[in-house]
Amino acid sequence: MALLILLPSACTGAPEGRRIITLNGAGATFPLPIYTEWIHLYSQQNPSVIINYQGIGSGGGQKAILDGTVDFAGSDSPLNEEHYRRMPDLQMLPMVAGAIVLAYNLEGVDSLVLDGPTAARIFMAEITRWNDSAIARLNPDAHLPDAPITVVHRSDGSGTTEIFTSYLAAVYPEWEEKVGVGKAVEWPVDKAGSGIGGKGNPGVAHAIQITPNSIGYLELSQALENDIPFADLINAAGKRVRANAETMQAAMAAMAGAFDERFTARIVNAPGENSWPIMGYTYLILHMEPEDCAKAKALADFIRWAITDEAAARKAAEMGYATLPPEVGERVLEKLAEIRCR
Amino acid sequence: MGQQSNLKRFWRHGDALWEALLVALALAFLVLVLHIGWMLWQDSELSRRAFGWRFLIPTAISHWNPAKGLFQAWPSIYGTLVTSLVAIVLAVPISIGIAIFLAEICPPWLRLPLNYLVEMLAAVPSVVYGLWGIFVFLPAVAVSAGNFLAATLGKVPGLMALFHGPIPTSGLSRLGASFILTIMIIPTIAAVSRDVFLAIPREQREAALALGATHWEVIWDVLIPYGASGFLGAIILGLGRALGETMAVTMVIGNSVEGSYSLLRPGYTMASIIANEFAEAVKALHSSALMEIGLILFGITLLVNVMARILVWRVSSRVPGR
Amino acid sequence: MGGVRFEHRYTYRKAVNIIMLSTTGLLTLLALIPLFWVTGYVIVKGGRYLDLDFFTRLPAPLGQPGGGVLHAIEGSILIVALATLFSAPAGVLIGYYAARHPNTPLGMGVRFATDVLSGVPSIVVGLFVYGVVVVRLHTFSVLAGGVALAIIMLPTVIRSTEEMVKLVPPSLREAALALGAPEWRTAISVVLPAALEGIVTGVILGVARAAGETAPLLFTTLGNDNFEVIRLAKLAIGVGASPWEIARLILTQPVDALPLTLWKYSQQPYPERVNQAWAIALVLMMLVLGLNLMARVWLAYRRRR
Repeated sequence: MALLILLPSACTGAPEGRRIITLNGAGATFPLPIYTEWIHLYSQQNPSVIINYQGIGSGGGQKAILDGTVDFAGSDSPLNEEHYRRMPDLQMLPMVAGAIVLAYNLEGVDSLVLDGPTAARIFMAEITRWNDSAIARLNPDAHLPDAPITVVHRSDGSGTTEIFTSYLAAVYPEWEEKVGVGKAVEWPVDKAGSGIGGKGNPGVAHAIQITPNSIGYLELSQALENDIPFADLINAAGKRVRANAETMQAAMAAMAGAFDERFTARIVNAPGENSWPIMGYTYLILHMEPEDCAKAKALADFIRWAITDEAAARKAAEMGYATLPPEVGERVLEKLAEIRCR
Repeated sequence: MGQQSNLKRFWRHGDALWEALLVALALAFLVLVLHIGWMLWQDSELSRRAFGWRFLIPTAISHWNPAKGLFQAWPSIYGTLVTSLVAIVLAVPISIGIAIFLAEICPPWLRLPLNYLVEMLAAVPSVVYGLWGIFVFLPAVAVSAGNFLAATLGKVPGLMALFHGPIPTSGLSRLGASFILTIMIIPTIAAVSRDVFLAIPREQREAALALGATHWEVIWDVLIPYGASGFLGAIILGLGRALGETMAVTMVIGNSVEGSYSLLRPGYTMASIIANEFAEAVKALHSSALMEIGLILFGITLLVNVMARILVWRVSSRVPGR
Repeated sequence: MGGVRFEHRYTYRKAVNIIMLSTTGLLTLLALIPLFWVTGYVIVKGGRYLDLDFFTRLPAPLGQPGGGVLHAIEGSILIVALATLFSAPAGVLIGYYAARHPNTPLGMGVRFATDVLSGVPSIVVGLFVYGVVVVRLHTFSVLAGGVALAIIMLPTVIRSTEEMVKLVPPSLREAALALGAPEWRTAISVVLPAALEGIVTGVILGVARAAGETAPLLFTTLGNDNFEVIRLAKLAIGVGASPWEIARLILTQPVDALPLTLWKYSQQPYPERVNQAWAIALVLMMLVLGLNLMARVWLAYRRRR
């Protein structure tokens, strides 16, 4: 314990100038694949900046930055006013957006179509078997088994859950009052005995893979990465859409003006013929008035690179993420310029 | 003479310093342990104030709802108790059997290697049991066992609630967790029980044999009753280990809170809910509720371990020459 | 008449005897099946993915093949070394005190506290260290992990020291005192060395346990895919840091450790990561079982001399 007295808080640093910069972040698993790629690429060009990002869930990221244990956090879900009261200089910056898809494990079913209300009813345990008429009606050609549906959801606090539940609330009025929107909810399928919790997006993907006749919500990049089939959806315009770069960009473009004063936006159930209905931004949370100038500069530089560099953007698109529309990217750069270190 | 007394003074101060160092460390250690308990008490205050006894009591519908700020520990308490109890029920006969074999029957050349092997069971890290559990053991054993139990005991009127299936195809369930726990606590109970057997004086055996008892009768009718409190202590030590086990259980228990009490369904234990949720408990009430669960766990394991020590100590002190 | 009944009864008892005794042998075998099953599986599945890269490289970005677990190996070494540094000297001295003054309030308190601490689930220790170290230092760190593991090791070290010191014949101590040695000298040069083998065994067993622990690291070290000591040290030297500053830099970084990495990888749907989880399991088991074996063998060897 004596050592604790000798080691001053990591917040005070060596004088500016040459230093090793170590940046530690934690949070959402949604962007984990692209963040680790970006860190890898960036480190090659900037070897004296050591960036570490751990995927512990949006809730974990929020807790970590509020407890002061990390330099930046990743979160799919916005901070609320209570959080801003606790730490007023936090700022959310959208980094990329992703699509959430309904991945499933059904032998012999290569393609599945669902709509909002049907999806909601599945997650509410109102539809409990795969050959239910509601699903069959949308999928007349599919061989739906007469089997119970196992529903996979997140077991940890998750921005992905928040985005998904906000979609369900937008398309099925009963969802809001019976279950609600949030990072973690009490799932009706759990009470019914047909729910499984997976930790992080990877945990949900894993659970779907090993559980026959299951369905769960998952970010597109994870589903693609692991070759897990996912359903097409009927969007707000009544059109059947597949989740891909086009439909994602269409949704984001349709909602480009939807940001609030905290720089967060909901992009679920976007209007437009070609829009993918379940999208969400993932944000980086950082301090606008940081104590460690060198670290803050390095972090800002990294973010700037991630948003503007071509190779970075290409990687993101390859992996199934939607990069920011130009106006949004501009605003992020403006925000970065406003960082004032103490 | 003057030189000698200078030397003596130095030695004396040396002793005082030494004693002071020892006492300081011992005190610091006590303070550390007290501090852990105190921190749990302090940090759980928000939750204790908010929920009181309702936190612990089983209710018809128990909530664990971080979004709405409603927390009840009963589902995780139940999970801990039921998995530990099932593990004990399964592990005790096996462990006592092993202890008997190792202490009474095993030929001398086999004794050392077998002892090592049993201890190796305990040395396997918890995460490795968890990894093997999810990918190998549960699908192979737990699922079949679960299906069997659902088909048999699950139909018996009184037991239906406990064995209401179906077991998930992955095997992630309270039953799966119980099985893994069984494997993990067998070495503890077996090793201590073996030592209890070894501590029982030879005269007891010889007297019984002289009276015409078979070897088994000596063990069953004489040795086991003689060492009863020691065996009880071993069992309680095993129970203590099961109650606190975290990683292997978290990996195999499924981590979702349903309404059912069934062994065949996924659940939570106190340790697993902390492992799963603490890193994301942003709300003060949420992390306080988790701290309260930690406090309960601390209290239970404390009680259990102290009981075990007392029981084991009683046997070994009863027995001369140990 | 009575004679015949006696014969039947005796045969019955003999049968019960044979059956029950063989059952205990079978139960022993039954209990060892999981051990062989786990070990066998880990060796086969893990061995397949063990290569040089595994031991010498940092992880590849998520989803890409290749890469290794160098970060976890270095992390484990660091935090276990730190934990041993914190707990071994202190634990030995505390155990010595408890052995020498068993009936004082402090002595009994220490024994009780040791029992308490040995029963505390390691996840609770993690919670404690989170509040006391991680939040205070504003970072997850090697130091926090080391403190957490040290707390877990302490009861083992204290208990073995206490038991071993109690076994040292009092005549040894009294002879030293009679020769004019002061108490502290007797302890350090006579009693403790006599108990050394048992103490060292206890420490090694404590290390084996700590090396395999995951729960206390969940909230204390976080994890760090980019952690490599030599590179950090080189960079630090490049900017003119002193050894003290280099040590401080390394100790305040979040870090991975073999059990923690195993757990993380086992939860991920990427086959490369799951395969690496098995490989880590193999390395971890070899490490832990190796340490256990080493402790026993060394003790047996010393005792024979």
